[in-house]
Amino acid sequence: MTVSDAADQPAAADQPDAADQPAAADQPAAADQPAAADQPAAAGEPQAWQRLSARSMIVRPLTDLVRLLPVLAVIVILHRGRTVGGLLWGIAAAALAVVSGLVHWATTRYLITDERVYLRRGLLNTRTLSVARDRIRTVDVTAHLLHRVLGVCRVSIGTGRNDLRGSENFHLDGLTRFDAESLRAQLLARGAGPAGLQAAAQAPAPPGGELARLEARWLRFAPLTTTGLVVLGVLFGSVIQLNNVAEVNLASSGPVRQIVSDFASLSFAQRIVVGMAVAIPGYMLVAVVGYITAYWNFRLVRDGNETLRITRGLLSVRATTISLARLRGVEISEPLLLRAARGARGIAITTGLRVGRGAEHEGSLLMPPAPRTMIQNVAADVLAVPLELCAGPLAGHGPAARRRRYTRALAGALAIIGAIGLLAWLGHASGPALLASLALLPVAALVAADRDRSLGHKLAGGWLVTRFGSLARRRSILGTDAIIGWRIHQTWFQRRQGLMTLTATTAAGHQHYSVRDVPVAVGLAVATAATGDLVRPFLAS
Amino acid sequence: MTTDGIAASSRLPGLRDPANRVSRRAIGYWTARAVFSGATVLLAELAVAATTGFAAPWRVALLATAALFAAHAAIMPRWRYRVHRWEVTDQALYTRSGWFSVHWRIAPISRIQTIDSHRSFGERVFGLANVTATTASAAGPVRIHGLDRRLADQLLDQLAVVTGRAPGDAT
Repeated sequence: MTVSDAADQPAAADQPDAADQPAAADQPAAADQPAAADQPAAAGEPQAWQRLSARSMIVRPLTDLVRLLPVLAVIVILHRGRTVGGLLWGIAAAALAVVSGLVHWATTRYLITDERVYLRRGLLNTRTLSVARDRIRTVDVTAHLLHRVLGVCRVSIGTGRNDLRGSENFHLDGLTRFDAESLRAQLLARGAGPAGLQAAAQAPAPPGGELARLEARWLRFAPLTTTGLVVLGVLFGSVIQLNNVAEVNLASSGPVRQIVSDFASLSFAQRIVVGMAVAIPGYMLVAVVGYITAYWNFRLVRDGNETLRITRGLLSVRATTISLARLRGVEISEPLLLRAARGARGIAITTGLRVGRGAEHEGSLLMPPAPRTMIQNVAADVLAVPLELCAGPLAGHGPAARRRRYTRALAGALAIIGAIGLLAWLGHASGPALLASLALLPVAALVAADRDRSLGHKLAGGWLVTRFGSLARRRSILGTDAIIGWRIHQTWFQRRQGLMTLTATTAAGHQHYSVRDVPVAVGLAVATAATGDLVRPFLAS
Repeated sequence: MTTDGIAASSRLPGLRDPANRVSRRAIGYWTARAVFSGATVLLAELAVAATTGFAAPWRVALLATAALFAAHAAIMPRWRYRVHRWEVTDQALYTRSGWFSVHWRIAPISRIQTIDSHRSFGERVFGLANVTATTASAAGPVRIHGLDRRLADQLLDQLAVVTGRAPGDAT
């Protein structure tokens, strides 16, 4: 969009978006608009299709090549006898990558109108995606190492659809940082005045809006998370891959053999001591490095009353913007180890961002592992609810639910002990193993007691709070206006105990949040109080 | 326990039953399905047992499996028929399903996004159809199984009309 275009449209001038078009006009990429004619008819007014940054032509071939590296290596190895052939294959692959980069750049265009955002891509199979701007929940700007070297980034737009296939994801890979920032501000800061828009596009939010930033003392939580394990897994995977591709057997190399034979000469007790002395500091180091890599420069900022911004990352940086109007709740997750150190993690419940195992990668992370009180304060702050909802006591589910916790935990332990007993009887397991397995019973009782303490719910001020779990305790604070249906589940055993599991379904976060093993009357009262008009017609008169 | 007793025990105190039963032919369909899956397992077991020359433990296992599946095919369909019920009001879709474990679902009509009907081969043989309504929540599809085919078509039309009246999907 150029300045002259904007001037031609008196109709658009009274829209808040039009005001920021002059700001967007001094970006370099906006200069070429060969395709202004083939915009969708729905766009209504002649705004211009924009391209990705020309630099994306370099990013894509390079990332493709990195991805192809194992394949290329295999090809080169297979052709070791005939170097010319291997070289040709390599050149062909590189050429293909360059051409695909060119095609991607040449065929990808986007257009922002007052109502919708359009994305068009593809050479042979053209695909035009469009999304209504008022349906945009989140904007996620990420930049991995290569992106950062070239000064570009990737913008993903979250619309809250849950059935997207890969090719339907709304993302733009290879925008300049400036374009990405102005796009982000334009897409989500709708309704803010023009001045606010420009400020958002050009400068970070005022320091007053900052809710949290990374503190060095949070690093103590790093070894208590599984981040370290993930990093170790990745390291192990790449070593294996290197082994296979390069056909180097690390295990038979000199230094490794030396270490293994030294270790083998130690006594059993010494092995344990040495093993611990290496593994524990090693794991802590890896975990701390992993934590720093993921959460370096972490900041949680509120831009006015419109959006939340989460920025973080050392090597690959990520800036997630969540529309506050679309924030449906917060989940406070306390894995056992983290809980033991009074730590927790905060996850945003919103449509458009996935949660669960990939939460950290998918961008719904609100707070990294940090002191629990801090997480609770931030959660109460972003949701504008009393701290009590995020930190206070919950209503327990009574003696029947407690019995059920113990029955289930002990039944599980007894099943394992029974299986070991059967094996021992058949002569496949030793007597001491059977004795040792009896230790499962007190452990199960402890887990049951903890699960019972965790179990609870609360409904207050339009928020449904539920909590359950022991190994991974989760407290979810969900707005009742986000509840789009109920599931009630009762197994035969629950029926005998007068309990049920009440599940609120929602379009945000995990998609469903359960109040487990709640007495039937209490559960129905919660559902009725939360969404009276929906449930009341089905209550027994 | 009589089947009426079963139906009573699958009630939730405080929640009323959805108004409509599913088609009685569903009992036949569920029985056929149970017999079919039981027969498949039994045949596989027979094949393995044959390789051992029908040793004593295998004969016991075969008899036990047969008895278990026969009991399942005899009890489950009638029990399920007593439990499965559904209702559509102007505001909500309300269903109950299951047998050993019972599920209730309440989905507001205003939040329904898609409605579709599906008929498997077995359902077509018995003149049945099922209707699925999805909401914006990935955890939210509401299914009504074992409906009479014509009734399912009517229900689809009815749902299309009532959902048309309520815009927005609250995401």
